[in-house]
Amino acid sequence: LNAAPGRAPRQQIRFLPAPAPGGGGAVELVPARVPVLADHPLVRGPRFRKLKIGAGHRLDVKASGVFVLGIGHGNKLLTDLYNCHLTKVYTVGGLFGKATDDFSDMGNLVEKTTFDHITREKLERILAVIQGTNHKALLMYSNIDMKTQEAYELAVKGLIRPMGKSPPIITAVRCLQFALPEFQLEIHCLHETQQYLRKMVHEIGLELKSSAVCTQVRRIRDGVFTVDDALPRTRWNLQSIQEAIQNCQLKVETELEKTLG
Amino acid sequence: AGPPGTRQLREAEEAAPVFQYAGKAARRKDRVFVWGFSYSGALGIPSFVRPDAGWKKPRRIQPTPYRLETEEKISSAACGYGFTLLASNTRDITKVWGMGLNKDSQLGFQRSRRDQTKGYEYVLEPSPIPLPLEEPQRTRVLQVSCGRAHSLILTDSEGVFTMGNNSYGQCGRKVVEDEIYSGSHLIHQLKEFDSRVVQVVCGQDHSLFRTKKGSVYACGWGADGQTGLGHYNITSVPTKLHGDIAGVNIIQVSSYGDCCLAVSDEGDVFGWGNSEYLQLASVTETTQVNVPRHLPFKIGKVKEAACGGTGNIVLTEDGNVFVWGYGILGKGPNLIETGVPEMIPPSLFGCSDFSPDIRVAHVRCGLSQFAALTNRGELFVWGKNLRGCLGTGRMEDQYFPWRVTVPGEVVDVACGVDHMVSMVRSFT
Repeated sequence: LNAAPGRAPRQQIRFLPAPAPGGGGAVELVPARVPVLADHPLVRGPRFRKLKIGAGHRLDVKASGVFVLGIGHGNKLLTDLYNCHLTKVYTVGGLFGKATDDFSDMGNLVEKTTFDHITREKLERILAVIQGTNHKALLMYSNIDMKTQEAYELAVKGLIRPMGKSPPIITAVRCLQFALPEFQLEIHCLHETQQYLRKMVHEIGLELKSSAVCTQVRRIRDGVFTVDDALPRTRWNLQSIQEAIQNCQLKVETELEKTLG
Repeated sequence: AGPPGTRQLREAEEAAPVFQYAGKAARRKDRVFVWGFSYSGALGIPSFVRPDAGWKKPRRIQPTPYRLETEEKISSAACGYGFTLLASNTRDITKVWGMGLNKDSQLGFQRSRRDQTKGYEYVLEPSPIPLPLEEPQRTRVLQVSCGRAHSLILTDSEGVFTMGNNSYGQCGRKVVEDEIYSGSHLIHQLKEFDSRVVQVVCGQDHSLFRTKKGSVYACGWGADGQTGLGHYNITSVPTKLHGDIAGVNIIQVSSYGDCCLAVSDEGDVFGWGNSEYLQLASVTETTQVNVPRHLPFKIGKVKEAACGGTGNIVLTEDGNVFVWGYGILGKGPNLIETGVPEMIPPSLFGCSDFSPDIRVAHVRCGLSQFAALTNRGELFVWGKNLRGCLGTGRMEDQYFPWRVTVPGEVVDVACGVDHMVSMVRSFT
């Protein structure tokens, strides 16, 4: 960043002594545009010594996926994005037959169970119930009086959302793959932590009269940022970061305007 | 000897015993859930009314679904005005159980244990109702229905049994002056119809019978024209209805208050009875209609209809729900009355881009509540929350469809005045 051409130095007008035309000795003051010495790179030093980088929603050590960072002035946008309360989308992989103490496959084994009675239909039924109860929680924590006409209109459009603190709420779940003993779910959620998602996989296993552990948690969308916008490890250089910031600028602005007005 | 290495952990894991909680042949269980006002005994849980332990307090209202243990799988249930009937289509001797108010013997004669000559006035537990069947080990009970103070039981080969209050002839027998209904052993049997009866419906003080041939019979109180026989008098013998439904094959009849709706196999809706709340305003300005009239709605082919006290609801073939009438109709607090059916947006029942194939499968009506069942087994209720009958856990009225959390897939629901009963299948 410091190697990039910086701001041009400010110019000032000074009256400098210059030899007068015609005749030696006499000195005349001539206006000239000279760069200010205080702006000289050797005086000022490198332009960037530190960078302010802020992080968006937390991501576990054991999870992977999209992680939003704000640089410099972008940190203010981070707080605004947080107040928008947009949903995040995860792909969660699970494994039937085991139960561990920290709900992931790296923990200490608690119990092993059979799972051959589980079918995709049963799993989808459980997911439908989870969605139903979470939808109720969504309406209840949004702190809108259910008796008003505007609550009805928002509910019809599906725009009711808790705009303050609330426990983790799941807005939608879907089963992407099902191959006993493994399965994969796509979960849209609000105000959650990755450990909560692992716990949910464990509870799904219990509901199906078996047990399950979570093998993979990957965030594929965080508000407006998707996996396509995210930079992989190989592209963590200045050029790609600048490009990414420019691409996302418009999206972020429209989203903020739409939600916060 | 130090922390276990990876290899030892793996071996320990493989050697761990495997538990089996459900085998391959595990069946889904059928359960019954009840909620609402319990002091009448209609919920069938005696400990709510008379607590069996000293520290328990009587529970007047059960605001969320509560499991009711039954001996057999219940195939049909009906909620009346403070009492409930549960029926199973078994071949055993005991086929019907009743609980709740029994002041007019609407649950048959329940012999009191304290005094063998008298009967119970409030039945707190599901008690078997003895039916005078000719072949008790062959006949099956298909359906039950309850009105304000009378009940109807439909069997497959022995006609319809009626019991309870008969002051308006709603039990299908001649009205006896000054008859005492409390503690009565009389159960009347009705067999004379043009073909086998396939559906029985109780209104507040009248009864409707639908036969296999598609005709409708009615008896009982007619001051609002709810018998549909062309007059406003009492009828004590089931008589066939004519009017706009003569010759039409009716596939479903519904009533709960004083208004009646019938659906034909072509998807048309016919109505008669009370129209004070604009239920039949699309065909007439009068407040009572005593002949079945065709309701010219342009909403598509109707699959199912349900009548409440002041509001009506229909379900069309493509899964849309329409409401009209008076009261809390389900479209927010601003819609109080309408004579023309208004559609409830499917997004309120959970249909969205994420799950576009959710459809409403059945609609049911209580006196001032509505219930809708989706094809995923979810139950949505809305309307006046009288004594906690909606089952949402809150005591406020619900102005738009709200999910009821039931631990299972709801197969059927019966709505009463202040309580509801649902037949649920467990998930796994």
